[in-house]
Amino acid sequence: MKRIPLPRLAVILVMATAVLTPLALIVYQSLLSAPFFDPNKKLGFGAFAFIFADPDFWDALRNSFVIAAGMAIIAVPLGAILAFLMVRTDLPGRRWIEPLLLVPVFVSPMVLAFGYVVSAGPVGFYSVWAKSLFGGVPWNVYSLTAIAVIAGLTHVPHVYLYSSSALRSLGSDVEEAARMAGASPFAVARDVSLPMVMPALLFSGVLVFFLGFEIFGLPLVLGDPEGHLVLATYLYKLTNKLGTPSYHLMAAVAVCIVALTIPLVLLQRHLLRNAGKYVTVKGKAGRQRLLPLGTWRWPATAVLVLWLVVTVVVPLSGIALRSVVSSWGEGVVLSEVLTLDHFREVWDQPTLLRGILNTIVIGVVGGALAVACYTAIGLATHRRPDGWSRFVDYLVLVPRAIPGLLAGLAFLWVFLFVPFLSPLRTTIFSVWLAYSVVWLAYGMRLVSSSLLQVGPELEEAARSAGATRGQVNRHVTLPLIRYGLLAAWLLVFLIFEREYSTGVYLLAPGTEVIGSLLVSLWGTGAADIVAALSLINVALVAVGLAVALRFGVKLHD
Amino acid sequence: MTKLVVGDLHLSYGDNAILKGVSMQLAQGEVVSLLGPSGSGKTTLLRAVAGLEQPHRGTIAIEDKVVFDGARSVEVPAEKRNLGLVFQSYALWPHRTVFDNVAYGLKLRNVSAGETKERVTSALANLGLDALAQRLPHQLSGGQQQRVAIARALVYNPPVILMDEPLSNLDAKLREEARAWLRELILRLELSALVVTHDQNEAMAMSDRILLLNNGVIEQQGTPEEMYARPQTLFTAEFMGSNNALRGTVAEVRDGSARLAGDGWSLWGAARSTARAGAAGTGMVRLERVRVADAAGDNRVRLPLVTSMYLGEKWEHLFSAGELRLRAYGRAPLAKGEHWLEIARDDMWVF
Repeated sequence: MKRIPLPRLAVILVMATAVLTPLALIVYQSLLSAPFFDPNKKLGFGAFAFIFADPDFWDALRNSFVIAAGMAIIAVPLGAILAFLMVRTDLPGRRWIEPLLLVPVFVSPMVLAFGYVVSAGPVGFYSVWAKSLFGGVPWNVYSLTAIAVIAGLTHVPHVYLYSSSALRSLGSDVEEAARMAGASPFAVARDVSLPMVMPALLFSGVLVFFLGFEIFGLPLVLGDPEGHLVLATYLYKLTNKLGTPSYHLMAAVAVCIVALTIPLVLLQRHLLRNAGKYVTVKGKAGRQRLLPLGTWRWPATAVLVLWLVVTVVVPLSGIALRSVVSSWGEGVVLSEVLTLDHFREVWDQPTLLRGILNTIVIGVVGGALAVACYTAIGLATHRRPDGWSRFVDYLVLVPRAIPGLLAGLAFLWVFLFVPFLSPLRTTIFSVWLAYSVVWLAYGMRLVSSSLLQVGPELEEAARSAGATRGQVNRHVTLPLIRYGLLAAWLLVFLIFEREYSTGVYLLAPGTEVIGSLLVSLWGTGAADIVAALSLINVALVAVGLAVALRFGVKLHD
Repeated sequence: MTKLVVGDLHLSYGDNAILKGVSMQLAQGEVVSLLGPSGSGKTTLLRAVAGLEQPHRGTIAIEDKVVFDGARSVEVPAEKRNLGLVFQSYALWPHRTVFDNVAYGLKLRNVSAGETKERVTSALANLGLDALAQRLPHQLSGGQQQRVAIARALVYNPPVILMDEPLSNLDAKLREEARAWLRELILRLELSALVVTHDQNEAMAMSDRILLLNNGVIEQQGTPEEMYARPQTLFTAEFMGSNNALRGTVAEVRDGSARLAGDGWSLWGAARSTARAGAAGTGMVRLERVRVADAAGDNRVRLPLVTSMYLGEKWEHLFSAGELRLRAYGRAPLAKGEHWLEIARDDMWVF
């Protein structure tokens, strides 16, 4: 057998440890009768028996299914239509709409959920205005349907990203052939474009359904008033329910969630392989003439603008307003309640200031470190189609199947369990490690798409000139992908700013980040501070997005 | 009857002018080739006729119906022009069977299911594809895919069929067979066809008339024979056939003939309109018109043999001395050393 080079072995082993330890710990904990540090623990299925006997668990499971299915039903058709309009037609204003389409991807769902509460909740800004206009509020954002609809609308960009990139890589010749045969723009979309991106649509449908089991912020905030639980919030509330650390029960729920998500992740992997089935990138693509929409352009624009208003404008404007008013309700005059006190309060609380600073540090420094790790892993498997690379491929999938909340919980246990790691428990390192592992698959996709763009002959030329693999990496591959890595850094920054659920269980003095602070402050009902912090979070994301747009970073592949 | 008339067509991408005033006609039952190097605008012209590119000036009329008129802002969209286009990539829809690919144009024209089946079956039979109707495109060979693409473009009887490099995706071996087959098909079905190609042999073999495009304008047009035997410009002479180019000075022009002279040689040729006595000139001779002679004589030049290449059906000899290089075909290998080469006066064009 060929010997594996030491650096490569080290990278793969460190990665395997970081990925598999939390999962192993969750499974182990779920089979105990008490928290793992309890001396009286016993092996068994008691934890599962307990949660399976709890009607709330089945309620949460059913709600999760309803929300996941509702999300897929709403997001897939809407995302596909938006993608066709944006990529293939002469819709007016495409250039400035494109970045707005991606806003829900980069704004924390916690922030969005809070935005819906303050703008469309029973006494939200828009609800109060609607009441004065119509005499009643025609919607209820706390119902299960509303949660599914909002989750569906905010996941439209995920479908949009995959179907638009599939549409872009579709040769325009097949569409032109249909036009030559006499097909109108509508017939072209129906008979050629959409059937040909069907594999990508199917993939994104499964992706959204899968994300439906992961969502935490939206049901936590919107499901609370009427008591709608989903699996993630059921797990989160278990602590309160029993009053004692019931880690074994949480682990059992976590194993149930992972049992649902792993098959979905494997299904996605299978579908993604087929997603490029009809992709026909031909050398001579030439200039594509966009399909003229004619009179259809106005209804099409209306659909797009309506979606933007409901998913982006309503929640974000609500947060912005709420952060500058002292109170709000019926009969309150806006001009009399304007204030900047909430921001002053944030400034006066060292914990919150440290949270903001930590959020910036984890995005900038942590993002760079994470990209460095992802690059090391990427290079360890780059152009080496062997068993180790396949092992890494599957390892990358593991954190994808573990929702951030569970990963954070598992890393908490790792830091409690492993003696030499426990001093790091109260440092931002613990949060960084959890974030980097949770977003491993995302980061790896960014890095490997850069790596794949390097022509193999460039590396082979260096090999034949006498360079070792390490020298090829340092002298050829890395310099060639440096802009790709910078772009990856920026995107990882955005994702780390947005992340909230992974930090929830790791929250301790010293490890505060805005995301986890929002979850904990929301629990205490401090709406003023939540609004101010949310706006600061949105501002950080906006800065990142502005830099990305300024330098023309592709926000998706 | 004239099937297609293009008048003074201009088209540009931004500031980059692609077509700079092209006019042409296509008669019933005629095959016209658009020939030219890459970037000459031949594919753009074809796509403008199809309605897939937008010209900014000029006119296009199909069967006396104006489909584009820059002055009157008339532009009939591609799907309403009722033309058949065979794409270079074939552009078969991978999610439809061969039958459904061909039937699509009829479905859009609301042809009944029974008639559709009949017409598709006969179109497939015409192209020798009867047995493949239920296959998917990726299950076919390149040659079969090409024939499906042609069947798809023919099935609704378009007045003109447009073909964009129809043979370029085939293997070299297959290409010559397909060329003969395509010519035969066009004649048998009495099609009017406009064919884009960059290969002069393909253009000559397939078409009744050739339009040679250069940099967005028509350089010369005519029958294949006219284009090959009587090029009017240096560009046409260079583009058609394999040539020797002799650079020298035009020593004298007399009675339609010109004498081109260089370092130690002097040859008579047919003067073209650009030849001026005393100016630099270029003589063009087809390789097959250079004859190896055994002794000195009229219009002959003596050159040493550099090398001979065996091409199978003939030999190609390379002679060279100083600036002067001549290639010639021969039936047999030649001895080393110097040889006399004869170029008949009519066989060299002096530009």
